[in-house]
Amino acid sequence: MIHPLAWVGWLAAVMATLSAGRNPLHLVLVLLCIALVEAASPPTTERRSTPITPLRFALTVTAISAMLNALSVRYGDTVLLRLPDWLPLLGGAVTLEALVFGALSGLTLSGLFVTFIVAQRSLPTSALVGLIPRAFYPLAVVAAIAITFVPTTLRQARQIREAQAIRGHRLQRLRDWLPLLLPLLVGGLERAFQLAEAMAARGFASAGQPQHATALRASMVTGLAALLAGWLLILAWGQVRAGQLLMLIGGALLVGTLWLVGRRAPRTRYRRTPWASGDTAVLIGAAVAIIAFTLPLPGIDRAVLAYYPYPLLHLPRFDPVLGFATLGLAWPTAVLRGGRSRVVE
Amino acid sequence: MIDFQNLTYTYPGAARPALRAVALHVPEGGFALVVGPSGCGKSTLARCVGGLVPHFSGGVLRGKLSVGGHDPVALGPGGMSQLVGYVFQDPEAQAVMDRVEDEIAFALEHAGLPRHEMRVRVEETLDLLDLAALRDRALDSLSGGERQRVAIGAALALRPRILVLDEPTSQLDPQSAEDVLQALVRLNHDLGLTILLVEHRMERVLPFVDQVIFLSESGALSGTPEIVMPQIPLMPPLIALGKALGWSPLPLTIKAGLRFSRALALPPAAPAAPATPAAAPFFELQHVDAAYAGRQVLRGVDLAVAPGEIVALLGRNGAGKTTLLKCLVGLHRPTRGRAIASGEDNASRDVAAICRLVGYLPQDPNALLFADTVREELLITLRNHGIADHGEVDALLARLGLTPHANAYPRDLSAGERQRVALGAIMITHPRALLLDEPTRGLDYDAKQQLAELLHEWRSEGIATLLVTHDVEFAALLADRVILMGRGEVIADGPAASVLGSSPLFAPQIARLFPGTGWLTAADALRGLG
Repeated sequence: MIHPLAWVGWLAAVMATLSAGRNPLHLVLVLLCIALVEAASPPTTERRSTPITPLRFALTVTAISAMLNALSVRYGDTVLLRLPDWLPLLGGAVTLEALVFGALSGLTLSGLFVTFIVAQRSLPTSALVGLIPRAFYPLAVVAAIAITFVPTTLRQARQIREAQAIRGHRLQRLRDWLPLLLPLLVGGLERAFQLAEAMAARGFASAGQPQHATALRASMVTGLAALLAGWLLILAWGQVRAGQLLMLIGGALLVGTLWLVGRRAPRTRYRRTPWASGDTAVLIGAAVAIIAFTLPLPGIDRAVLAYYPYPLLHLPRFDPVLGFATLGLAWPTAVLRGGRSRVVE
Repeated sequence: MIDFQNLTYTYPGAARPALRAVALHVPEGGFALVVGPSGCGKSTLARCVGGLVPHFSGGVLRGKLSVGGHDPVALGPGGMSQLVGYVFQDPEAQAVMDRVEDEIAFALEHAGLPRHEMRVRVEETLDLLDLAALRDRALDSLSGGERQRVAIGAALALRPRILVLDEPTSQLDPQSAEDVLQALVRLNHDLGLTILLVEHRMERVLPFVDQVIFLSESGALSGTPEIVMPQIPLMPPLIALGKALGWSPLPLTIKAGLRFSRALALPPAAPAAPATPAAAPFFELQHVDAAYAGRQVLRGVDLAVAPGEIVALLGRNGAGKTTLLKCLVGLHRPTRGRAIASGEDNASRDVAAICRLVGYLPQDPNALLFADTVREELLITLRNHGIADHGEVDALLARLGLTPHANAYPRDLSAGERQRVALGAIMITHPRALLLDEPTRGLDYDAKQQLAELLHEWRSEGIATLLVTHDVEFAALLADRVILMGRGEVIADGPAASVLGSSPLFAPQIARLFPGTGWLTAADALRGLG
């Protein structure tokens, strides 16, 4: 098992490299590293299963993204076909460049999806929750419940789909989804109620009202209001500096209030995951990738990442230093396959 | 330890109280069983003990309640959590974490216990409930009985002095239920834990408890099993037989009953009835293999059910029973072999077409219910199949005893009523076969009797019925034939009397009392004894 913080570093590195640009050569290398880690990660259990496999997701999203972009963007020199102009929104040239750009966007999304699947599969709920600072304990519990609820909800959706099928239900129109969504919603609410009752019985939220509850509530509301006001200042009146300052103050108020509320209730942690050399390797690999992809360093041509197929599709350039730095994302494969057991205290 | 003094409680907006003038006492270290008809307030009573009622549910509570010297109404669930541990019916609905050890430690983390103290408590809880070997396992990889023991462990970690369990074995097979009950007996005997257990299937529990609390509309009757059981209408077959034969003291266990049954002069065994030629099956599986999530679930299954036959399918959790039912209605495609209904291979039809012929009631009937009224639920099925209503809905509602609830919201009904609504929703197309998956879950004896009568009626109309159940007493009541499954294979298939009578795990109480006679129910025994 890899330490949760090392996973966080890896996640951050993958997100940084995926969002750095759309150079297909570098993108494929990043996706290859993610695929290697995915193959080495623990097999999926029913609880952690997703409604769609990563490969199917990638193929579907890439195809849809390519098609949507090709049908909505009229730019590019390589015309594949021309749709009649009288077609609203769709009329015009469908170009290879637009198709390729859409596909690259789809691949980026797929990479992010698989990355989170890998992390979710590799980390038990307690480790995921443990990443949230103790001061934000209520948030941690909400996160734990949300992680638990998703697979249960997916399983219940399957059961409902089957139950409605045995009543002759067929999905043909939009309103045919109602017999699936309503029992799912009601069932979800019932389960939420049962869980809340079970948690209340175990003493959760038994601390009662915190001291200065009114002041804390006022602080939360003020923080939210400041966030909203700052956003409106930027959006409606173009006051960027003032808006950003207000949003910063609002955000700080919210975070500070949550921190204060969390600190007041004593919480302890049962598990302690010791740090191992494999975790250091994962973190170093992630750091190298982040630095190479985000900082302006001599000898690295980060301009290659900003690949645009327009106006005429052309071969992308490849920076070997960036390519080497990308390989740091594959370190979790070696650690997971090494299979060193770790005594979790 | 637990004192109810004239307690009356009414849920918000309810017309009648859920508990009326309840007065009872459970001493410290007692093991009390709470029984009563559906809707009598058993779960409400259990929830009063830890303050969930009225703090979590609202409503009006009158009278007095004292638990371990504390007032749950004043302290609330938070304050009572150190004294009272709860285990609810559905182990999945009470789990927050995904691993056994983490789930047990969760409440301790929340209580802010020091780490070394948490380690001690988690270890002792794992040992008490025989969970040490499962400590690193994911919860969803455990059996129902194991999950329920984890739920008990999660409640025990805070070292409560009272444990309240609301139908903890209703979803479990007999062996898993036995494991859970044995764990409770150990906790009661070895730790002196006071246990309050709500349970419908008394036959499982009566041998272990020292107090029975019977709830009804008129209040609570409480006392030792020997005192209470003769006075109440709900009773397992052993006690029903004992009462009918005037056995005194009334035996509560098979061991006690054997003292009486062995003293009886049994009539000579009736010659086996000549085998009747098997009628052509209405539905069948032929050499079926099925896999689920990469795991082989069914292996070479051959099964046939004829019109007018009721077949019970029993086996441990995970034996493949539900997958078998799904193969019969086309919800799951076999990897080998054929599923046939009404002479036609299911592979050539979709689920909707199959389900016009074969009604299927899933384990959770709530998954079927989404309409605003009971009547609408039945109408929706007709509409789905493109069938007009020519009075069939009203006729079926009357037959199911649901006419008074025709305009009620289905989810507001009791468990038995909701199940009958779900049955109505699948039977409205008049299928010629019926598949039922654990239909007696959450039902009291009266509701089970009503269901049995309904199934008998449909059998006499020629409907072929396959019933998956853990309730051996219900199977004994109904089944013409019993099939036992193990690890995806059929391991026994024959007349109910011989299969149930010869199975140490699945023999009903009467069969254990009178081995070799072929008697499965109290009625069989009374008839046989003349």
